[in-house]
Amino acid sequence: MKRSSPGAWLAIILGVTYFLAPLIATFEFSLRLKRGEYSFEAYRLVFESGNFQSSFLYSTTVALATIVIGVALAVPTAYWVQLRLPRLRGLVEFITLLPLVIPAIVLVFGYIRLYDSSSVLPLTGSAFGTNILLTLGYVGLAMPYMYRSVDTGLRAIDVRTLTEAAESQGANWPTILLKVILPNIRSAILSGAFLTFAIVIGEFTFASLLNRPAFGPYLQLIGASRAYEPAALAVMAFAITWACMGLIQLIGRGAPGAQDTR
Amino acid sequence: MSAIAPTVARPRITLSNLGAWFGVAPFFIFALMFLIAPTVYLLIGAFQNHDGGFTLDNLARLGQPSIRNSYLLSIEVSFTSALFGALFGLCLALAIVRGGLPGWLRPTLMTFSGVASNFAGVPLAFAFIATLGRMGFITVLLNNLGLDLYAAGFNIFTFTGLTLTYLYFQIPLMILVVTPALDGMKREWNEAASMLGASQAQYWRMVALPVLWPSILGASLLLFANAFGAIATAYALTGPSLNIVPILLYAQIRGDVLHDPNLGYALALGMLLITGLSNFAYIVLRARSERWLK
Amino acid sequence: MNVKMALLGSVAMLALGGAAAPAFADGMDDLVAAAKKEGQLTVIALPHDWCGYGALIDSFKAKYGLTINELNPDGGSGDEVEAIKANKTNKGPQAPDVIDVGLSFGPSAKADGLIQPYKVSTWASIPDSAKDAEGFWTGDYYGVLAMAVNTDIVKKVPADWGDLKSADYKASVAIVGDPRTANQATMAVYAAGLAGGATDPAKAAADGLNFFADINKSGNFVPVRGASATIAQGTTPIVVMWDYNALAARDTLKGNPKVAVVVPKSGVIAGVYVQAISAYAPHPSAAKLWMEHLYSDEGQVGWLKGYCHPIRFNDLVANKKIPADVLAALPPAESYAKAKFPTLAEQAAAKDVVAKQWDAIVGATVAK
Repeated sequence: MKRSSPGAWLAIILGVTYFLAPLIATFEFSLRLKRGEYSFEAYRLVFESGNFQSSFLYSTTVALATIVIGVALAVPTAYWVQLRLPRLRGLVEFITLLPLVIPAIVLVFGYIRLYDSSSVLPLTGSAFGTNILLTLGYVGLAMPYMYRSVDTGLRAIDVRTLTEAAESQGANWPTILLKVILPNIRSAILSGAFLTFAIVIGEFTFASLLNRPAFGPYLQLIGASRAYEPAALAVMAFAITWACMGLIQLIGRGAPGAQDTR
Repeated sequence: MSAIAPTVARPRITLSNLGAWFGVAPFFIFALMFLIAPTVYLLIGAFQNHDGGFTLDNLARLGQPSIRNSYLLSIEVSFTSALFGALFGLCLALAIVRGGLPGWLRPTLMTFSGVASNFAGVPLAFAFIATLGRMGFITVLLNNLGLDLYAAGFNIFTFTGLTLTYLYFQIPLMILVVTPALDGMKREWNEAASMLGASQAQYWRMVALPVLWPSILGASLLLFANAFGAIATAYALTGPSLNIVPILLYAQIRGDVLHDPNLGYALALGMLLITGLSNFAYIVLRARSERWLK
Repeated sequence: MNVKMALLGSVAMLALGGAAAPAFADGMDDLVAAAKKEGQLTVIALPHDWCGYGALIDSFKAKYGLTINELNPDGGSGDEVEAIKANKTNKGPQAPDVIDVGLSFGPSAKADGLIQPYKVSTWASIPDSAKDAEGFWTGDYYGVLAMAVNTDIVKKVPADWGDLKSADYKASVAIVGDPRTANQATMAVYAAGLAGGATDPAKAAADGLNFFADINKSGNFVPVRGASATIAQGTTPIVVMWDYNALAARDTLKGNPKVAVVVPKSGVIAGVYVQAISAYAPHPSAAKLWMEHLYSDEGQVGWLKGYCHPIRFNDLVANKKIPADVLAALPPAESYAKAKFPTLAEQAAAKDVVAKQWDAIVGATVAK
């Protein structure tokens, strides 16, 4: 049976203190809207400023789409690079790091120039097209995290042996990827999913400049130049995003063939 | 121990590799359309002057002492926060995976890390001001207990303060990315090692860390690049005093005062080059450590 | 002149005069019809709490029934110009139709061919110094730099720049953003220097830098981006910002904490913003209608309700178009009497000095 190690508990306690302190400070400040007393007035004001639900729903939908596309791109790529094309590793990793250092505003103006209503691929010409552009933009933004997670996960399992074993049983590539590899990197995919979700929910620049009704622009609208409401928003956004991640975790847990790799 | 793997396959277009090339094609098409193509504007813009003519002027200006110092500062902040983020993140990840903690703690901490990894910008800066600023929650608490942080020389609006703030999203990122690697560490290795007479320390030094090293390095590089490109937090926390490159960059592009987007693009190009160099250094380091693994 | 000529002349005059008035009224109706046909307007970088834009946008929507796409409320003047450039061939709702930018961006956008001319119907009542002769850009509002003071924390409210040096204000004074890059912050440095008496912009900027160097050394300066949140939280009880932002912050905080807005006795700098229509606007009629809305008496008073002095302020006062309660909510008029409106050249000179020498003189040597 596993014994709890005191070192582990110490690390956890220190970590939790570090992470909770700023949240407590923000929460405490958000309660101070009414002079001299603690109240949830700031939260009430935020809820009443319309659009909370619709913008959150919009961003959640885009986030889920981003996760699916991100996984669909990252897993096969990391798999093939590890298995057959290791020389490409450096190039692929460099490409996935690009969105981290290129300013979002440069990227989004690039998208507008490339895919505007007069171009070959007029994505900005319609709401649906712009939604696609936004989602694919987010796939790019989340790619560093998704790819790194998936790559780390694949490295931790013996991809070669698994593939050879599955092949010897007569499996073809889609089966290998879906039924053999994917379930074994579940925790890595979950990590990538969490990171992607958080990024998309809070993202502002792409959504605002592409004129999409996402949560980020809503947060900015409510929070700009106010004092207490942004603090309330930060706490609410934190709590709700955490809850959504809990849901993703539950869904991931219940996926067919999923088993703890421990 | 797993079987010695066959020699590294070379990317010739053989029949068996053709499938692999098809497999990675979607990624490259996507990258071309949504990562590389928009970057091309940046590359072109870096070499243009205001009227669109070709010039190396912008790149030359990158050598100015103020901009050079800015790059150095950015690298310092990113490196420090990546180093400590990796260290503390690894410790926490180890605690979560191997610490024998109650079962509900892992999913809670992992989902929390997911949220915290993106908690940045103005809300984060404000949270730290509200915690460790002069009138901050903890500062006041410690004051009441007799310890005056600011008299002792601490100040949140400094390099140290900014690094401390960056750790808030660096540590969770490390935890999320490195946990799958820790999951892959088989118990049997620990048991085998102890059967052969190795102590825990020896096990870590000679078996576990070398196996984990490539993943740790990769995650650290991600942390470095993550901090390198971060702007919103720094702008909100130490804006007028710590001049990191993204702030300079944004100033040129969105500028109220200095409005030279081409210089902004050149600055971004510089950042790309530094990221590329770090990536290269990481590849070299990793290749060394993986030599005996394969 | 014989009678025939006079008659002909007067008929011509009548015809012209008769045609002109209904022509403009017809023009307005045509404009409204064309705008409604376009159906939408895209604006950029207009926070709702800035100069009462929230109310102005709502009133425009209510009056004409157009959809308004609001891009990037967080943006700066440079962002707006970049957005026009990026959307040159885009006719979708991501392309801004109108921009509201700092004074210096008007002429530069015109030089780059990014804006198109339009003279609003109230053109004549706008001061010449605040508009482009050909109508490419038009000044819309101005404000002066003031101090927002958290009076719960700061017991002795400062009255002038010099007061900020006193030991009463340890770790209290902040500006909004980076003086090397943000207009509000740069002008704060310029204003501090003007308070010392210098009139030459370069000298004033240098004096301002020395002022900030002093308060930084004495520990009065807090290098944080000042905002209503940091005023309320106590980290920056005194923030130098545009008076309209300070007054809006005071209102948002609703007395918790109590905020006093003080226009300094000396060193009063005014900042003018300008409106322009994008040369690539997908909805030019809607853009023109928006400008008419903003420059109408109703629109101008709307800005005043947001504490921004509209560019036609003097004209409105003379014609008694401003409700008394709106006037009463503003700081006293004497504070604005000494306001200096820096010309483009003066602004450029001051910005140059501040941007280049902030590091060296104020010396935020990176404290580890």
